[in-house]
Amino acid sequence: MLKATRLSKTYKSGKALDNASIHLNSGQISGLLGRNGAGKTTLFKILCGLITPETGTVSITSNKHKPIGAVIEEPGLYTYLNAYDNLKVFSQIQGAPTDIGTLENCLKEVGLPLNRKDPVRNFSMGMKQRLGIAIALLNNPDILILDEPFSGLDPTGVASLGTLIKQLADRDIAILLSSHLMTELHKVSDDLYIIDNGKIIDHGLTQDIIDSQVTLYTITGKNIENANVIQPYIVQKEKNKVTLRCESTAISDILKTLLDNGYNITACIPNITLEQLLNPVSK
Amino acid sequence: MKNLIGLLFFIFGITSLSAQEIDGDLLKIKSRMDAINEFSAELQLDLDAAFINMPTKYASMHYTKGKDTKFSSDDFVVLPKRGLDFAFSELFEHPFITVDRGIETKNNKEVKVLNVIPTDNQSDMALATLYLDVKNERISASEITTKKNGTYALEMEYPDLDAILPSQVQVSFAIEKLKIPLNFMGSDTDIDRKTMRQMDTKTGKITLLISNYKIN
Amino acid sequence: MMLALLKTEIFKLFRESKTWYAIAAVLLIELIILVAAYYQGAEILDLLLDNLQQSFYFEGNLLNGNLLLYIILNSLWFNLPLILMIVSSSLITEEYKNGTLKTLMLQAVDKRQLILSKFIASLLFTVMMLLLLMATTFVLAYGIFGTGDLVVYLGTLNFFPSEEAFNRICLAFASGTISMIFFTTVSITLGIFLKESAKTWIASAFFLILSSLLLKANFGWGTVERYFFPKLTNSWQRFFEYEVAATSIIIDNMVLIIYIISVVLIGTYYFKKQDVG
Repeated sequence: MLKATRLSKTYKSGKALDNASIHLNSGQISGLLGRNGAGKTTLFKILCGLITPETGTVSITSNKHKPIGAVIEEPGLYTYLNAYDNLKVFSQIQGAPTDIGTLENCLKEVGLPLNRKDPVRNFSMGMKQRLGIAIALLNNPDILILDEPFSGLDPTGVASLGTLIKQLADRDIAILLSSHLMTELHKVSDDLYIIDNGKIIDHGLTQDIIDSQVTLYTITGKNIENANVIQPYIVQKEKNKVTLRCESTAISDILKTLLDNGYNITACIPNITLEQLLNPVSK
Repeated sequence: MKNLIGLLFFIFGITSLSAQEIDGDLLKIKSRMDAINEFSAELQLDLDAAFINMPTKYASMHYTKGKDTKFSSDDFVVLPKRGLDFAFSELFEHPFITVDRGIETKNNKEVKVLNVIPTDNQSDMALATLYLDVKNERISASEITTKKNGTYALEMEYPDLDAILPSQVQVSFAIEKLKIPLNFMGSDTDIDRKTMRQMDTKTGKITLLISNYKIN
Repeated sequence: MMLALLKTEIFKLFRESKTWYAIAAVLLIELIILVAAYYQGAEILDLLLDNLQQSFYFEGNLLNGNLLLYIILNSLWFNLPLILMIVSSSLITEEYKNGTLKTLMLQAVDKRQLILSKFIASLLFTVMMLLLLMATTFVLAYGIFGTGDLVVYLGTLNFFPSEEAFNRICLAFASGTISMIFFTTVSITLGIFLKESAKTWIASAFFLILSSLLLKANFGWGTVERYFFPKLTNSWQRFFEYEVAATSIIIDNMVLIIYIISVVLIGTYYFKKQDVG
């Protein structure tokens, strides 16, 4: 669907992108994880054709009028127009349908209310993100690129945006999203690229990458802190919540034992920090 | 001695007598003029001056003896103050004396040249030179030097031999020290009175074609 | 596609409160100039005709709508372009500032067409503003001060009958509109280069001041100077010469149009070449 090969870009401030390659498949959600300034936005801008790379190529297989829809950095919206007019303006310029029905569907699709007639400048960040996505989805692109879509959102916002992204992937859209927070990406992305200093330093299925690096897990469940099997691994203990240190290979056995012992486990979250991924410990 | 005094008196008497006299031909013309109590006419004005561009203008005039001549026009018109006094009422308004300057040929016509000198301070006129068409009893040209308003020269043309009112008058005028702001309404509209260009004396001509006389 | 882009530009332009502020400002300036023109006109006439008045009768009123229109024409050509340049340049700088240009470029939109539509929108806005201004000044000037002969001093005192004055003023407005389009086009190209509103405003004001300084300057370069743009932006004034040099004025305006096209081409080329974001 999209294949970018050996992209490089240098700014006055230094090398922003160094031989980065990436590929996206339809229906697949890819995450791009990296610190602020690692080159995520530069990569996105190159993929979308906003800036030209010094070296490397981007090839897109799509028969769509608009192959890529994207929201890069903050969604750029006409703040003096309302959500509907924003959609209308962006539809009109590219010959997409501008009838009320279609535009209202676009708003509904991203979960925006139809009764907000006030200018977008009054909108919350989450609503702006959603409108940005609605605009990106105009003309039905095959690929959707979202730059830090979760930043500035509250936990409810993060969760519902995650759901929306998953729904879009179900429509066979290839999705690429970036974040500097692992917790945001691991819930939604199927595979993961890790970028640092403009270089892609790791790529694989999200779960594999987490498994290879994670050593801390947070398990929640009623009275879980009293379970015998976990006692050797505990690093932190709270009411109904424990943090364990163990190898990823061991965690499934621990969980199995807990379940066998009748504990009701409500969540098991791998605690992984960006630092761990950027400076992997070889095992 | 007595004789001498007598002679002096005689000379003075002659001089003063002749000086107080008004030329007979002029008096004839004056009486013809005085017969006109009121008239109206249509005017066509053509201004010819290097510093003024103005298209041909039309106006109508109305003269009533003893009153200011009235002009009206739909357009903006510039009228020479003197040139329109066809009846020479202003000339004859205040007491004056005339001095005969003899016969001259002007525009292939024999004319009698007279100086008209006011004897009264009220008149704005300082000196007038009149060129009389004695045969047809009318004024064919004049030069008037005013105290305040510069010098004018008028040349009259008449439609026929009998006419007392001209069909064409050419007024030549000179304006001294015409002041025009340098950048008047140019690209910037500031007017600075100090930077006004002091122009040389400017001369110009207005040709008046007068038609449609209605004489009462 | 181009038409859709243009429609959108116009829609956005009139939805921005800035545009309405600009229109209000222009109309207010016009009103102020009209009042000032009345007093200035009286003073000018007084001064101008003082000497003449000793020798001539004046029949008719020179302090009329035509004279006021002429004074307004003279006064507008500095104030108006500045406001129009601010509005026009914000067609592009606002898009940079709010990140909407990026959003636009992320849609299926041709970069060249997008920027051209902005140039055309600014052109239409400029023409509209001039028409609005012309209509309102005509109504105000003629409505309050009536018609009459126009007197203009351009080396000589030129008197124009009312009807002719009207035609000349209309032609001057038309020629002035081309100058105005030149300035607004320059401001968009400046916006493309500078991206930031404030910088573009300063550059626009600088350009305008430079133009008006160069207009008055005399370098003695002959033909080169004749077709130097600041001189061309003033060609509307030549409609008040007694004998209108029509061919020469048309040539001047044609050359100015060539300048405008060049500025559009430079702006478009640079916009197309540069990265967004």
